[in-house]
Amino acid sequence: MEILIQQLFNGLTIGSVYSLVALGLTLVYGILHIPNFAHGALYMLGGYITLTMMTSAGLHYWLAIFVSILVVGLTGVLLERLVFHPLRHAPPIHDKIAAIGILLFLEAFAQFVWGADYQSMPTPYDKVINLFGITFTSQRLLIIVSAIAVMILLYLFLKKTFIGSTIIAMAQNREGANLVGINTNKVAMLTFMISGALAAIACSLAAPINLVFPGMGHLVILKAFVIIILGGMGSIPGAIVGGYILGFSESLGATYVSNDYKDIIAFVLLVIILSVKPTGLFAKEGR
Amino acid sequence: MKKVKLMFVVSLMLTLVFALAACNSSSSTNSSSGGGGSKDGNTVNVGFSGPLSGPAAFYGERTLNGLKMAAEEINKDGGFEVKGKKYKINVVSLDDKYLPNETGANAKRLIQEHKTPIIFTPHSGGVLALQVFNQQDNFIVGAYTSEPKVTESGNKLTVRIPPRYDGYIEPFSEYTMERFGKKIAALPTASQYGKDWTEKLLPHWEKAGGQVVYNSAIDFTKDTDFFTIVTNALKKKPDVLFIGGASEPTAKVAKQARELGFKGGFIIMDQAKLDEMKKVTGTYEALEGSIGVLPLVDTQNPGTDQFVKNYKAEHNEDPGSEAGLNYMAMNAFVEAMKAAGSVDDPKKIREAMDEGLKNIPEEKKVYVIPGIEEDGGFQSDLIVGAVEKGKIVPIEVE
Repeated sequence: MEILIQQLFNGLTIGSVYSLVALGLTLVYGILHIPNFAHGALYMLGGYITLTMMTSAGLHYWLAIFVSILVVGLTGVLLERLVFHPLRHAPPIHDKIAAIGILLFLEAFAQFVWGADYQSMPTPYDKVINLFGITFTSQRLLIIVSAIAVMILLYLFLKKTFIGSTIIAMAQNREGANLVGINTNKVAMLTFMISGALAAIACSLAAPINLVFPGMGHLVILKAFVIIILGGMGSIPGAIVGGYILGFSESLGATYVSNDYKDIIAFVLLVIILSVKPTGLFAKEGR
Repeated sequence: MKKVKLMFVVSLMLTLVFALAACNSSSSTNSSSGGGGSKDGNTVNVGFSGPLSGPAAFYGERTLNGLKMAAEEINKDGGFEVKGKKYKINVVSLDDKYLPNETGANAKRLIQEHKTPIIFTPHSGGVLALQVFNQQDNFIVGAYTSEPKVTESGNKLTVRIPPRYDGYIEPFSEYTMERFGKKIAALPTASQYGKDWTEKLLPHWEKAGGQVVYNSAIDFTKDTDFFTIVTNALKKKPDVLFIGGASEPTAKVAKQARELGFKGGFIIMDQAKLDEMKKVTGTYEALEGSIGVLPLVDTQNPGTDQFVKNYKAEHNEDPGSEAGLNYMAMNAFVEAMKAAGSVDDPKKIREAMDEGLKNIPEEKKVYVIPGIEEDGGFQSDLIVGAVEKGKIVPIEVE
């Protein structure tokens, strides 16, 4: 029983990180209509900036995260302006190539600036809490609580505010949104900003339990692709639910089936879900 | 429409240019007249193919640093003399991204363009790839890998620099079994190297009367979090954990095991270094009861202090054994060239290796390596250290 609860907690932790990454990916999908391959690199960049702010500028963890959100968010905007906006009338394959180019560029850039070695991010929340034989660390609790808070805020923003609904409108139909007077350029930039910010938050939260290195984006980005396919491309609840499904299937699969097959379990799940609902769990309506 | 197309082309090209420029800056910056000492008569090119980008780049860089430092010192002293001619060393490095096929392609390039008599490579896959053709193409493989297979195959032009890892198995198991108990859980890295280590260690552990309670590999390139797998391993109540891989992620595994309440000891694969692991865990206390390779900074050889000082001045970090051993190897090769009286005949150089190792000046002896085995392995003693009461102590091994 203790093991089950411990593993549910582990799944919840890792699922929260996956969900945050997938959310950023799914939002941008609404604009680009392709998965943004460079999202993993933005995630990595977020980790490095938080780390640099903490070690070089001596900022507190939260302040460093805030700076990181701004910087990565602005990098997202810059990417939209310099790369994806000029490509908006080009065939989708061009977007894909450009995204892969950005991914390669950012990884090489990180290695150039910060070096190739593993770095570890200190956290002020290093306490280990033992309750009824189950181990929580405060950083892990923080990941779960912050991720859920961010998700709720994002949901409220998209559903309850005017600007938020313009994002949804544009994801549903770019030309239609333009016709009713939405400034699609602004909305596209805003979406990239939010997507970058989500990547920065996810990485800054997850980095203390792992390490910061140029290739760290690969740890999550492939899984995030699986999640948005599983949840339905462009669907926000799909990204959240999908993230937790993958998190739980990994931790429980590793415990009750086999650690060596835990990735296979996740993919079998994907096959089953797509066989029943070929467009994903929460296929987007109105398109 | 034309404008859009133009902008697309320009932006794509810019991206490419930047990406390439950035890639380039990390790989070889060396350029020489080339041609193994023929053009200006004074340069010996020595090849290196290792990971200089991607997740293992830091490891490749550290091995390369050792080689380069040795070369710089030799050049600063005016080079070395063979048959009355002065030569300088030029290290030509190429990136193979840790991929054996790339190592092979790089080696071909090195021998064709730079006529390198020796090519260093710091991973077993690359070494095995080079051994396919090194005797035909006539170059020595400077193998920085503790994999015993590379010298067991009978390749006549291979030199294995570090001690073979199977030597560690007995002292490691003996120490931890005595200090902590008979139950072991194995959580090695999911590489070929990790698998080979595990396959040697676990049978030995069982033969010595121990019990293997859990065995599953961790893929450091795929797993974001190790809590799940460590929880499952600890469920079986092991006394000892076998962990390994690159130092930093290995240290994270150890740290998370402590967070989950593990009180036993760690057997640490020789790939991970205790001093590098300490940077992640903060103190040696979290690593109490670990046994592994003794960190270079804690060894007491004639040349160690000077080397550590020089390395720190240049790279701003403590050198690990990969830098130290490659430094030794480069010096040994140069001494061997002197003894052989040739800079371009790999067979003669290989035959003179034993003498070369003996001729290394005392102040350059970062490690004491008395000679070379018939099969090409350096005869170094195993240098083992353990963490006892928050401190590194050397462990004597016969």
